[in-house]
Amino acid sequence: MAVCIAVIAKENYPLYIRSIPAENKLKFHYMVHTSLDVVEEKISTVGKALVDQRELYLGLLYPTEDYKVYGYVTNSKVKFVIVVDSSNTALRDNEIRSMFRKLHNSYTDVMCNPFYNPGDTIQSKSFDTMVSGMMLQAC
Amino acid sequence: MADNIFFEFLHMEMVDYVYKMDVSREEHEQVKMNAISTLENMGFRVGQGLIERFTKDTPSFKDDLDVMKFLCKDFWVNVFRKQIDNLRTNHQGTYVLQDSKFSLLTQFSNRKQYLLEAPRYLAYTCGMVRGALSNLGVDSIVTAEVSLMPACKFQVVIQRS
Amino acid sequence: MSRQASRASESKKMNSELFTLTYGALVTQLCKDYENDEEVNKQLDKMGYNIGVRLIEDFLARSSVGRCHDFRETADVIAKVAFKMYLGITPSVTNWSPAGDEFSLILESNPLVDFVELPDNHSGLVYSNLLCGVLRGALEMVQMAVDVKFAQDTLRGDNVTEIRMKFIKRIEENLPAGEE
Repeated sequence: MAVCIAVIAKENYPLYIRSIPAENKLKFHYMVHTSLDVVEEKISTVGKALVDQRELYLGLLYPTEDYKVYGYVTNSKVKFVIVVDSSNTALRDNEIRSMFRKLHNSYTDVMCNPFYNPGDTIQSKSFDTMVSGMMLQAC
Repeated sequence: MADNIFFEFLHMEMVDYVYKMDVSREEHEQVKMNAISTLENMGFRVGQGLIERFTKDTPSFKDDLDVMKFLCKDFWVNVFRKQIDNLRTNHQGTYVLQDSKFSLLTQFSNRKQYLLEAPRYLAYTCGMVRGALSNLGVDSIVTAEVSLMPACKFQVVIQRS
Repeated sequence: MSRQASRASESKKMNSELFTLTYGALVTQLCKDYENDEEVNKQLDKMGYNIGVRLIEDFLARSSVGRCHDFRETADVIAKVAFKMYLGITPSVTNWSPAGDEFSLILESNPLVDFVELPDNHSGLVYSNLLCGVLRGALEMVQMAVDVKFAQDTLRGDNVTEIRMKFIKRIEENLPAGEE
């Protein structure tokens, strides 16, 4: 479903990035980096225009020719970015939302692992498994 | 769900341990500070984790007062099974939270010795509060005082960068 | 989103996440203070012992459990009453030795290890070792010397968490002369 999943710290550096296929890694890293500007814009707009829109899910950040990039920000200002293939038109908004929910739940579990230091890159087997589940597509 | 008394004993044992670890140091005053800050830092990390869980489904916060109200109601109820009894502020970044029956002090009577030692049993919670606020983007200094067991007051002073 | 305060029971139920995270903070602090896992395990056992000798008083006061006549009864009380009261779980009692002096507690879940993933450099850590000390200390206060250790641990890759308890001997109470 997803071709790239990223978790970004509130200081805007990556805590976790995974993408498939491997050769597009750099391209996705760049895409995630660019998307952060859009995220910043969206969360600051909330204060101005959409006063009551205090949702964590940010929706579609921007579409490119081949991909769609979605964003989500937690109350601790950690950002999640999911990139999906544009050709995957079957993927609906609520499915994306549910992917973000899963990410958020797993991230919260990582935060509660006493051996994890906030700010470190995420190195958790169960987090990896959850992300793998969202990236592998049954052919 | 664990029983509160097991937690209270765990907390007391934890405090004793941290103080014992520092006993090898020479100056007594130095000892107290280090043990307090060790406990505070332990609480800080736990506060970060707890607040992450508790704010998973909440909308984002409007301002500092919004955050403090959440701390006094939702956070305190989730953690200590009751709300903060009284919240006061000078509207200039200082908040005083009163808990008339603080969960971690129920094992102590009002003997002078316990009152003097109370800060060591509050350090961990102060750290939790600071950690919770920090993860929501609010930097603060948190202190606590006890005048009559088991009531205590937490003071939160928000730091502006 | 905010949980209802539990009004059901008289005893003060606590937030299990606070318990779990506090225990985690303690273990990681011990790991910082001590060079090796063995030392940490020892400290956890010692601290558990200190807690156990006090917890037993609370247990006896609140559970209205009478004197146990044999080790089997003790096992049942530990699993069905004590674990339930203090950890909210009911392990099963199995694997009795032929002599009836040794048994296992199998824990389906263990609130102490929620969210915990042991890093590779702590493969020797018995994360929940505090529990062994608690059991040892508590039973000592009711005149039983026991040996308690973890035989299996889900944190270290086993399928279940198993605590093995062995009865060593009865500790004689100090009775005044003339009594039996």
